[in-house]
Amino acid sequence: MAADSIRLLDLVGDFVTGQVDSKATDVANGVKSGQFSILQLVEALGLSLTSSESQTRGRGVQLLSQVLEECYTSLSEREVEVLVAFYENRLKDHYAITPHVLHGLKALAKCTVLPKGSAVSILKSLFQDVHVQSHGLANEFDCIPNHAELKGLGPDFVFGFVQAVDGERDPRNLLLAFQIARNIIHRGYNLSQFTEELFEVTSCYFPIDFTPVCRILTSFPSFLLPLIIEKLDSDMQNAKVDSLQTLAACASVYGHKELSDFLPSLWSSIRREVFQTASESVESAGLSALRALTSCLCRSVLTSNSEDSLHVFLDLVLKDCQHHLCEPDLKLVWPSAKLLQAASGASYRASLIVTAVVLPTLLEQYSSRTQVLQGDTAVPTYTHMLVFNWVNWPALPMPCAGVLAQPDVEMAVDHLSRLVLEEHDAKVSLAVAECAGSLSRLHPAPFASRMIPKLKQEIFSGSSKPNVSYPTVREDDFDLLPGQSRDAGRQRCIMALASVSTQPSLVRESAPVLLQMLAAAHTGMSCWSVDIPEFDRLLGQLEELSCTSTHPFSYTSAAKCFAGLINKRAAGCCFSISVFSLMSDCLLASQAADCFELLMSDSPDVLNRSCHADVRIMYRQRFFAENSGKIVQGFNCAEQGKKSVYLKALSHIVNNLPRQVQLTELPSLLPVLLEALSCPDQVVQLSTLCCLQPALLDPPPALSTQLEALFSRLLPLTASPSMKVRIASLRCVHALSQLPEHMVLPFRAQVLRALASPLDDKKRLVRKEAVLARGEWFLIGSPGGR
Amino acid sequence: MSGGARLENANPLIFQRTGERLLTASEEDEDVADPIDDREIFDILLTPNYSYDPEHPLSLEELNVVEQVRVKVNDEESTVSVEFTPTIPHCSMATLIGLSVKVKLLRSLPARFKIDVHITPGTHVSEDAVNKQLADKERVAAALENSQLLEVVNQCLSTRPA
Repeated sequence: MAADSIRLLDLVGDFVTGQVDSKATDVANGVKSGQFSILQLVEALGLSLTSSESQTRGRGVQLLSQVLEECYTSLSEREVEVLVAFYENRLKDHYAITPHVLHGLKALAKCTVLPKGSAVSILKSLFQDVHVQSHGLANEFDCIPNHAELKGLGPDFVFGFVQAVDGERDPRNLLLAFQIARNIIHRGYNLSQFTEELFEVTSCYFPIDFTPVCRILTSFPSFLLPLIIEKLDSDMQNAKVDSLQTLAACASVYGHKELSDFLPSLWSSIRREVFQTASESVESAGLSALRALTSCLCRSVLTSNSEDSLHVFLDLVLKDCQHHLCEPDLKLVWPSAKLLQAASGASYRASLIVTAVVLPTLLEQYSSRTQVLQGDTAVPTYTHMLVFNWVNWPALPMPCAGVLAQPDVEMAVDHLSRLVLEEHDAKVSLAVAECAGSLSRLHPAPFASRMIPKLKQEIFSGSSKPNVSYPTVREDDFDLLPGQSRDAGRQRCIMALASVSTQPSLVRESAPVLLQMLAAAHTGMSCWSVDIPEFDRLLGQLEELSCTSTHPFSYTSAAKCFAGLINKRAAGCCFSISVFSLMSDCLLASQAADCFELLMSDSPDVLNRSCHADVRIMYRQRFFAENSGKIVQGFNCAEQGKKSVYLKALSHIVNNLPRQVQLTELPSLLPVLLEALSCPDQVVQLSTLCCLQPALLDPPPALSTQLEALFSRLLPLTASPSMKVRIASLRCVHALSQLPEHMVLPFRAQVLRALASPLDDKKRLVRKEAVLARGEWFLIGSPGGR
Repeated sequence: MSGGARLENANPLIFQRTGERLLTASEEDEDVADPIDDREIFDILLTPNYSYDPEHPLSLEELNVVEQVRVKVNDEESTVSVEFTPTIPHCSMATLIGLSVKVKLLRSLPARFKIDVHITPGTHVSEDAVNKQLADKERVAAALENSQLLEVVNQCLSTRPA
């Protein structure tokens, strides 16, 4: 015993004054094994704990805490009680010691024998004495499992917590504080009069740290919604956007009961934001919020005597928006339309309600207008709404679905064309393009016959048309310089062209225009920037057309257009990637492979320097270098029936390479090419033979090992059903005769035999080649020959 | 060479050397069979094989045989007859020329063909003897086994590369 106490004293001394940290483990082990008791430890620490040096005291507490951490399970209730009292007291000590104190408290809090009321008193002391901001109160809270007790603490706890969180700046602590708050709410603590305080203390961090706050705040609908409305009134765009986003989030969580009181104010704020259209982000946030609200209301369950909150809300919306649609004042038509669309897009029911009211109004306006005024948007608005709803809710009974009879469609198309040509407002023209796109899907013919020719004319015309037909000139016209407006007009036409290219019949019309445009670019119209809007969609359409159309001219021109467009684009590699993906599709593969031909050869109308296509130096070699690996790989992985397309692609590429490159690349490609010769596809055979033949005139050393394989594949081809293949293979055989004698002599007899029947081929051209070839082979190894 | 005296005889048919044979549409049509015609045989004779030996002077072309050749072919009956007129009546090259023509045709025509090569009557002092040799298969085969002769024949059938 005595020895133990001395040892303990030594250990303590080492730790506290000697600063040897490892001694703590020794002490802990000692306590665990029963060598020393906690009481003894405390006694041994007596001097340190009462020292006037705060550092010494700190070390003392640290040691005790560390031991407690290891040994807390073996403490008795009495011991815990005493230690808790001690630690609580230590909280009042020097701030440097506090971390150790907290450490110890944490350990104690884990004790199952923690006496009743201890948890409460610990927390009380914590709240009172500790500057929690710097120490992380949350850690402590989390580890205190006795929530029942804490609840008992009641409002005091909440108050304490609120005080602790107030003014907290450390983001880590904040996050934990928010977590606690959530726990508080979820575990049903009695918040009573401190509800508002809790809300305030967390909401002041909104919108800085959005997500966690949001989660808490959704529990406070009666506080949150006014807050949102208040923030929406603020001048700061960020605040507006954040509040709208929160609103949208809330709407997905709340039911109509929570919202009903606030709906009128929310609506008027949203409406104000969208009408002002100060910024796109605010506008779109507003529209999403509206959609979310409507959606929420749609979900509400109706009882027989409650009013339908959805109807009430939509009535409000319609009341405010509908009349704007009919006003000649252009400014509010589109925002109103957007709001109505957002509302009707929320659900089927909402759509039904909105369209039932709006469409007849629009229709009436459309039918009753007697003259076409500038900026008349009745038709586009109408068609836009019609189509929008049609697209979203195809089953929706259209009150006047059949109204756009053929002559009206044509009128609509003419209107749209006019708007494309003359409407300067970017937003309107975008909407026009969208509308045209949607309508063209349903009625392609008038677009093909009416709009596209007009657009084409405008694109290629040299002059812009002055706006002389209308009395009023908009003030922004003066801002555009003549050249600018011409370009802008052209740009709009191109955009419209791209957006109406929704069907094969339309692409058939628009593709040649684009092709022409590409060809004409840079020749005389030096201010062209071929920057085609909706580029990706246009490409998609062209791709589709070129691959699915059965009309050879269309798909060729579409493919050329595609190629030309791709070429203009900086990242040309995406094309080969998309072509590769096409190759795996068996229907398109053949044409995809032909694309390579197009790319690599000198197509006269598209990918040509004279068309100012971007022809990079050595593009063929580069293309080959970049893609041959992929092709070979594709070939190796493809199943038998599909191998031929890869060979086709490869032979197209190789055939168009400069001779020198062919020769250097051939050795690596030889195995693939040999395999290609066995491929039953005649096109592949022909392509490979054409590819091989020049190489055989100056053969690589690698060939010498492949001769047997080569002959065995080549000779049967001289009897191929295809004349061209027979000719090409005979030429290859001819070329092979020029190899060093020692290489080819072994094959002489075989070749001479094999070439006997082509001499009697039914086609003269074949016979001619056979004569040449056979004659050369006779000379091999023969005196007077070579 | 072409300025030398000639014996009187019927003018041999001279095929136009200048200008390649024009390609016709039917020749490119896979399904249409092209019969072997006279011009084709003529072209066979004209088309030399390539050789890398720059020294030999004996191509058919240089021997001017090309102007002296008269060809008749019957595809259905599988017969071909080539008549040539040596430029010099005593030409010791006549046999050689005849042999070269024969060999060329042997190598270039389907096996079914009966090949008749002879000197235009009345144009050479030893035409009978030569004709007899050329008509004799075994003599021809034996001649070709003579490597020196073969060498010369091969040279006749070759030309310098362009």
